[in-house]
Amino acid sequence: MSTSPVSLPSSVVRARRHVAEGVGPRRPWTFWVLAALFSAYVLALYGPMLCIYVLSLQDVRGGLVFPMKGLSLHWFIDLFTQVRTGDVKGGFERSIVLAVLVTVLTVVGSFMAGLAFRQRFKGDGVVFYLMIGSLVAPGLVLGIGVGLLFQYFGLQASWYTSALGAHLSWTLPFGVLVMFAVMSRFDRAWEEAARDVGASRWQIVWLVVVPILAPGLLAVALFGFTLSYDEFSRTLQTSGPLNTLPLEIWSMTLNVTSPSLYALGTVTTVASFVIIGACLGGIALIQKRRAARIAAD
Amino acid sequence: MTASTSTNTRGWLYVSPLVLVLIPFFVAPIIVVLVASFLEHDGFGGMLPHFTLANYVGIFTQELTWRLYLSTVKFAVLTWIGTLVIGFWIAYFLVFHVRNQLLAIGLFLLCTIPFWTSNIIRMISWIPLLGKNGLVNSVLLWTGIIHQPLEFLLFSDFAVVVAYVHQLTIFMIVPIFNAMARIDKRTVEAALDAGASRLEIMRYIIVPLSKNGIALGSIFVLSIVMGDFFVVKVMSGGGSASVVSALFEDIAVLQYPPAAASAVVLLVVVVVMISLILRTVDVRKEIAR
Amino acid sequence: MATGKGDIELAGLYKRFGDVAAVDGVNLKIPDGAYCCFLGPSGCGKTTILRMIAGHEEPTGGEILIGGENVIGMPPVMRRTAMMFQSYALFPHLTVRDNVAFPLRVRGLDKADRYKTADAMLEKVRLTELADRLPGQLSGGQQQRVALARAVITEPRVLLLDEPLSALDEQLRIQMRTELRRMQRELGITFVHVTHTQLEAIALADLVVVMEHGKIKQAGRAREVYAEPRDRYVAEFLGGQNVLTGKVDRVNGTSLVLNATDAGDIVVPLAGQRSVSAGDRIDVAVRRDDIHLRRPGAGPVGPDWNAVNARILAIEYQGSFVKVMLDPIGECGFVVYMSEREFFEDPFDTGDVVLATWMAERSRLLA
Repeated sequence: MSTSPVSLPSSVVRARRHVAEGVGPRRPWTFWVLAALFSAYVLALYGPMLCIYVLSLQDVRGGLVFPMKGLSLHWFIDLFTQVRTGDVKGGFERSIVLAVLVTVLTVVGSFMAGLAFRQRFKGDGVVFYLMIGSLVAPGLVLGIGVGLLFQYFGLQASWYTSALGAHLSWTLPFGVLVMFAVMSRFDRAWEEAARDVGASRWQIVWLVVVPILAPGLLAVALFGFTLSYDEFSRTLQTSGPLNTLPLEIWSMTLNVTSPSLYALGTVTTVASFVIIGACLGGIALIQKRRAARIAAD
Repeated sequence: MTASTSTNTRGWLYVSPLVLVLIPFFVAPIIVVLVASFLEHDGFGGMLPHFTLANYVGIFTQELTWRLYLSTVKFAVLTWIGTLVIGFWIAYFLVFHVRNQLLAIGLFLLCTIPFWTSNIIRMISWIPLLGKNGLVNSVLLWTGIIHQPLEFLLFSDFAVVVAYVHQLTIFMIVPIFNAMARIDKRTVEAALDAGASRLEIMRYIIVPLSKNGIALGSIFVLSIVMGDFFVVKVMSGGGSASVVSALFEDIAVLQYPPAAASAVVLLVVVVVMISLILRTVDVRKEIAR
Repeated sequence: MATGKGDIELAGLYKRFGDVAAVDGVNLKIPDGAYCCFLGPSGCGKTTILRMIAGHEEPTGGEILIGGENVIGMPPVMRRTAMMFQSYALFPHLTVRDNVAFPLRVRGLDKADRYKTADAMLEKVRLTELADRLPGQLSGGQQQRVALARAVITEPRVLLLDEPLSALDEQLRIQMRTELRRMQRELGITFVHVTHTQLEAIALADLVVVMEHGKIKQAGRAREVYAEPRDRYVAEFLGGQNVLTGKVDRVNGTSLVLNATDAGDIVVPLAGQRSVSAGDRIDVAVRRDDIHLRRPGAGPVGPDWNAVNARILAIEYQGSFVKVMLDPIGECGFVVYMSEREFFEDPFDTGDVVLATWMAERSRLLA
């Protein structure tokens, strides 16, 4: 082996030490630039949202912009009691029920498709590209198609039939893509080991596959719920006579110019955060239980 | 590789729920729209079963169509650049600059959480900031930088792009973050050992190895912007239009066949665009890796 | 359910993946209670054979008999085989106890019964204190013992081990090797073990099966395969041999003379089965530890000895012996293992010219 002492430029030596030790004493200037960018991004991400939560707490004199005028829950009460603001309560309930339905179907469908796509089968490419197509197709176009289809067959479009299907055509491909990522970390030997000791197909699924994939399935559920809860363009032509929450918000943006709008934003965000909290908490709990050291250790 | 019959049967059995959704709610609607685009209309929401190319001729001969596509492509490109630049550097910062891995994951989650909340609400939340009497103008007036409130902040193309970038950057961050996190740090060390500068490392290692993540993110961002009309309509205050917002106006006045023809054209444009990106990356392999 | 002994017979076993024959006509008998090692480089088909015996892969052709009964088409449980996977495949969400009790759980045993059996098994593999841990919290060696316990809890008649020691570090590997052999004696069942490490195979196995490209190259006792390799591939794969190639100069009765080097002729005894005539190209093996090095001019060489002039290229100290690398003969490397004591009585140096000698009868003609 050649060991001739090549003198390295000092910058290279410094850089090497920096990478090797992980915690070099000096950070490059780019760190501070990017840290500033990151902070600005997070500020832009959360700042506007915080503004409307704060503004939704104004009293009756409140307007759409700062400064704050008073502090009360007036606009929240207004939101759920005034005719002018539309059927917010009904929309809210429908959206939650629809999102739960979509979530359950998305988890089941994505899980099964995730299992299917692990090996190649005849026509898998067709299904895969149909799925990608469904994911990238403009929502309104599909919405029009579903609307016309129902009209053609003389069916009444409604949020629990046509809108449900339209939502699934968007959440299911998304869920399957998430499952792809989840499945890539799943070792087939687990299934074989279970089969080897005599587990039946059902036992393999329920005792091995589902528990191991549980965090991933929860992530799919979270996707399914929020994508449906927030879905607008596919719903517009398919929801039938009764509105979902995003449609209510849409009509409010067109004709309500009071902090009620912000109050609605606060309410839906709180609902979102409860769901996110529950799912992330569930994932963390499973991971923690798996990683936990026993107390005696 | 030949798959056995039982593998095929099982495969189809497992994808059957997916197929049962895709056929009635993706394939059939597309076919219906395609058929409708060739029909005559009576102007009152009815469709007559006569074959015609008039709807397409109408689209391609109108100057409006070209203006709409130009405007939509303009939004798509600006948003794509914005999300790519921000998303790439945020992901790069999290993967290569944050040394504590737990902190990196925490900061990553911080970026993703708003994704789970309502996009519409997040869009509306720019109103109190960008409005004529909004926070940004107030602060600028107060500091004396400007003496007249800036009008272009809200209900303008600027506001549209801001709202898009705000909503969609996460679609860039996640795949690029994943791609970068998989880069073996030792390749970077090896490059440093070989005397590469930081710029060369970026150019020859990090960018090529993040390419697939960038492609995946671009697919999401472009397809969403091309298919959106809500943001354009609300944030431009009706001043700007996009292909889909025009489509929406057609439907509002029950002009189904012209709307369908316009939808088909849009679909073709989107599909061509996405396939061009897909040629550079095997999505299925990329995600499953 | 099949009963009886755990002797295995593979007859014309054949498996193709696409256009590739992964296992290409394998015939083999493994006696009941034997420790059998399949040895070969990755991709030689050894793991595929194991998986076909286990029932995780169906053969394209041929038969697999366990205890005299054709098991093709049967699920693993009916075959009464158990497999230990290369990555161990421990269920990450179950504790050690639940992992070991899993085979009983799927058989419908209630909790108390299966925990009782599992705890007894855990004691056997000395894991009692770790029963409530999850696999992620165990070391490699501990994980392996859990995998072993889970595999044998159902009392299989054959245990199949896929590269069981490859994930362990050197020291642990040797320790677990002993452990495996001990378990095999205690259980008295057939072990079929797949490995690419020569040392592992010859240390453990009653029966070593050397494979290449889906075919068996040689099967036999460890000493047989190591000391009497049948052909060049086996000799080189097991190591410890110098393989010399050359043209037969002449054949005289019980021996032949090989013209392999400029430095001198090599006499090789004729082994029964193979007929050779002058001009044939042949391979000859000589054990590295059968060769002695002498300084030039250190007295005459005996008449039954081969002698080759060579220069020392490199010397590696190996602890109990010293590895001396000489000028290659033809294209073949030429290596001598000297006992440490012998070497240091009169140490050689790199570049020294020496005479490599060995008894003619120690040369082996290869197929």
